[in-house]
Amino acid sequence: MAKHLRLYLRLIGVQLRGQLQYRTAFLMDALATAVLTMVGFGSLAMIFQRFENLGGWSLGEVAFLFGMVEFSFGTMDMLFSGFDPQHFGQQVRRGSLDQLLLRPLPITLQVLGSKFVLRRVGRIVQGALILLLGILASDVGWSVGKLLYLPIVLMSLVSFFGGLFVLGATLTFWTVESVEVTNIFTYGGSEMMSYPMHIYDEWIRRFFTFVIPAIFLNYYPALYFLDKPDPFDLPPSTSFLAPLVGFGTLVLALKVWDVGLRHYQSTGS
Amino acid sequence: MRLFWELSKLSFARQLNYRAATLAGLVTNLFFGLLRAAVLEALYGSREEVVGISLQAAITYTGVTQALIAFTMIFGWYEVMDSVYSGEVASDLLKPMNYFTFWLARDVGRAVATFLLRGLTIMAAYALIFPIIVPQGAEQWLALVVALILALLVSFAWRFLVNLAAFWTPNALGIGRFAFILSWFLSGFLMPLRFFPDWFQAICSLTPFPQVVNTVVEVYLGLLTGADLLRALGVQLLWAIGLILASQLVLRAGVRRLVILGG
Repeated sequence: MAKHLRLYLRLIGVQLRGQLQYRTAFLMDALATAVLTMVGFGSLAMIFQRFENLGGWSLGEVAFLFGMVEFSFGTMDMLFSGFDPQHFGQQVRRGSLDQLLLRPLPITLQVLGSKFVLRRVGRIVQGALILLLGILASDVGWSVGKLLYLPIVLMSLVSFFGGLFVLGATLTFWTVESVEVTNIFTYGGSEMMSYPMHIYDEWIRRFFTFVIPAIFLNYYPALYFLDKPDPFDLPPSTSFLAPLVGFGTLVLALKVWDVGLRHYQSTGS
Repeated sequence: MRLFWELSKLSFARQLNYRAATLAGLVTNLFFGLLRAAVLEALYGSREEVVGISLQAAITYTGVTQALIAFTMIFGWYEVMDSVYSGEVASDLLKPMNYFTFWLARDVGRAVATFLLRGLTIMAAYALIFPIIVPQGAEQWLALVVALILALLVSFAWRFLVNLAAFWTPNALGIGRFAFILSWFLSGFLMPLRFFPDWFQAICSLTPFPQVVNTVVEVYLGLLTGADLLRALGVQLLWAIGLILASQLVLRAGVRRLVILGG
């Protein structure tokens, strides 16, 4: 285990050094990712004065949800870039996955360590700021339970998004082509989860409850933190399913990934 | 002119071949459109109208903007940059045609193809899902066509200018990313510009970006009529001319600086 951790840090370290070589390019990139997040939320914040609320939620409450999701997605995107379906699909197409398979090291660890995008720091910081803003503006009645649960929810969200990336990557074992529609579940899913889920049509909400269980990771935990009533009348314990669903998705995704690996046939290129 | 036409036709035909990518793009654009419509609906709540924009118009707005993504390439376009870094630019500059016009011809072909395949399809899908607004009468349709053409010219000249950064620096991608994010923030792509505070609208109007999205949408929704409409199209035309002139100047300076790598 310690050996694996050392190896992972080594793989990441090489990339960090590489990415920091071009300092200006790195700063520009990090800034661009930060601005991207800010621009999305900033637009909403600026027009909010014309409206009173978003489906009954104040700007601060939306900020809380938005920040939580952005922060987690950004963190995941930094850690799990190796599994980014677009990037990974390219590896499969070019046959560079074969190279990793030949090494006497766990393949999952190598893929995880194959890409680490430091410029996502921009998005993470921005997400954290929006979350902080949300906490300040919506006066959360803090309790020990809430303080302990917040980091757990954030980690669950990271695992959940990570699971989606792993599933998307696994799909390319069969399709070889990068499947752009998976973007809807990853980037689209995170965008959708940034807003309170009761505003969507029932079929969309059902899909993101039963097929992709996103609602348990953003909406229900947020209801608990913000002390808001549940419009769907599920038991209050639903707010605490996040770790189960989040880590469960990642574990399940890794299982499917193993099946995909066994099925993998090189493109021969 | 003949060369222009042939280049456009080729690029049009090429675009038609990307079937899987077109379908994926369509589904994604539509999904995000529905999402944005839901957010606007939730903001409106029980209101019928906000600053002269009805809920129906706001929902139509999300459809029109999603339909404009592929047509105006508002999320980013790096083809000139790529050709500079691959060295292709050397042979392109030797062609008996102005470098700007060469790329414009290809972009027009691409834009027309994506307009037909993606733009119209998204609007058709929207019409099935929502009671959307449709332009009325020959005059408004004509204005819409003019606005679309001018929007493409403004967008192309801006994209071309951003790409020219590659003539100066070997790492222009960051600059490009930044420039494109800025352009969609200020274009009225995220939310109708009329919703924003006056000071923000004033900042936007100092830039060419509203000409690419917001003007087209306002013409489509019929928010501009009579003298206002003519003035809006005039401003669009001025920006198009200004940016085209600017890109010629920058191009001339860039060609003198260009260092060809690889090839």
